[in-house]
Amino acid sequence: MVGHLVSKRAPVTTTQPAAVVLSRVTRLFDGLAAVSQVSLEIAGGEIVWLRGWNGSGKTTLLRLIATAISPTFGGGSVLGFDLQKQRSAIRARTDLLSHETRLYNDLTAAENLRFACRLYDLDLRLVEPALERVGLDEVAAVRAGNFSQGMRQRLALARCIMRAPTLILLDEPYAGLDVDARVVVDDLLGAAHGKGQTIVVASHEAPPPHLVDREVLMDGGRRVAP
Amino acid sequence: MILRVAQAVAAKDLRMEVRSRSAASTVLPFAATMLLAFGFALGPDRLLLTATAPALLWLAALFASVELCYRSYQNEAANNALEGLLLSPVEKGAVYLGKAAAAFVQLMVLLGVTAGIVIVLFGLPVGPSPVLLVLVAMLGIGGLSALGSLLGLLAVRGRTRQAALPVLVLPLVSPVIIAATRAPTGLTQGNTSGIAGWMGLLAAFDAAFLAVGYIVFAHLLED
Repeated sequence: MVGHLVSKRAPVTTTQPAAVVLSRVTRLFDGLAAVSQVSLEIAGGEIVWLRGWNGSGKTTLLRLIATAISPTFGGGSVLGFDLQKQRSAIRARTDLLSHETRLYNDLTAAENLRFACRLYDLDLRLVEPALERVGLDEVAAVRAGNFSQGMRQRLALARCIMRAPTLILLDEPYAGLDVDARVVVDDLLGAAHGKGQTIVVASHEAPPPHLVDREVLMDGGRRVAP
Repeated sequence: MILRVAQAVAAKDLRMEVRSRSAASTVLPFAATMLLAFGFALGPDRLLLTATAPALLWLAALFASVELCYRSYQNEAANNALEGLLLSPVEKGAVYLGKAAAAFVQLMVLLGVTAGIVIVLFGLPVGPSPVLLVLVAMLGIGGLSALGSLLGLLAVRGRTRQAALPVLVLPLVSPVIIAATRAPTGLTQGNTSGIAGWMGLLAAFDAAFLAVGYIVFAHLLED
């Protein structure tokens, strides 16, 4: 793993409270630590890149922040809400995007987004612009099951754009994406700064320096640097 | 809020079933074959057929409920959509109610088609109280839907996967099957005595399963 990132982004100037505070968080699966004693603080509006090889614990860490799983030991807060006691509040303000797109194969692209609108109590008129934004407006009536993995990820991105959450967690966002779709991810990262959104990206790839504030290296379930 | 989410989940499940027809294509051929086989085995004895038809119908419904609820959660497990439901800021009990409602509609349709086959194939009488028969069917299917929609989640979350579903469903649903089988036997012959008791039992089980499902579903869904 290479050295730390020197960001070319303007420094985050925000009065927001810390978006993520993790204190000695450990997560065990069948007695094995996927994440071990990780402490991490991420400021509101910051874009942080978690980098590590497969099995380094970065995906588990994202899932802990998203409240998809609970820490076995340790604790913390996300957007000022307790990680274990105020999950609903965190979930309402957070989106986790991964290669598991959480789409329904037998629903069309537009129907998938409309269903998300109903779950998150969003205006259905957001669907069309979100599909346009990711370049899927012409296949809005096609079932997600007929999409390539890249198209599915773009559709998941459209859902995230529609929701405009305060905290976005991206797990290997460039995996399986073509050049056009990568641009959409970069746009999302770029636009986040202006909107005050906090983004945490987990990837084995090197971060694009102009888009990221800080890099954190993970290995063997531990935070190794900085 | 609860109604809106339940409605969205039910509409989504029904739309997906209409598109894929996965439950119908599995359950209907099974039910038709089973009824045909029993029809030939039992012979032309009208009384015997009348006495056994409700049990055959509910066996088909039971098989359908296990299959349908498992498939419903398989759809959620694909692409990890289940996690999307978990991470959405909605009352998880509402998701359960939506899934149970969708299962109820699908099972009612399947039971209606199967009952149609029985009536036509065996020439069985509906009796003088078809409304009561439909009410019994709704109460019985209500119990199967409520229980199947709760335990179906375990089939995709638990380590034992699909094998766990029949093992869990069959013993728990026995009272519903017994009551739903006994109730229509008299009804088709115009005898309504004792029907209130069977229907009360079915309603009590439905209410209990729904209440437990509403409360427990969130805990089963969480990590």
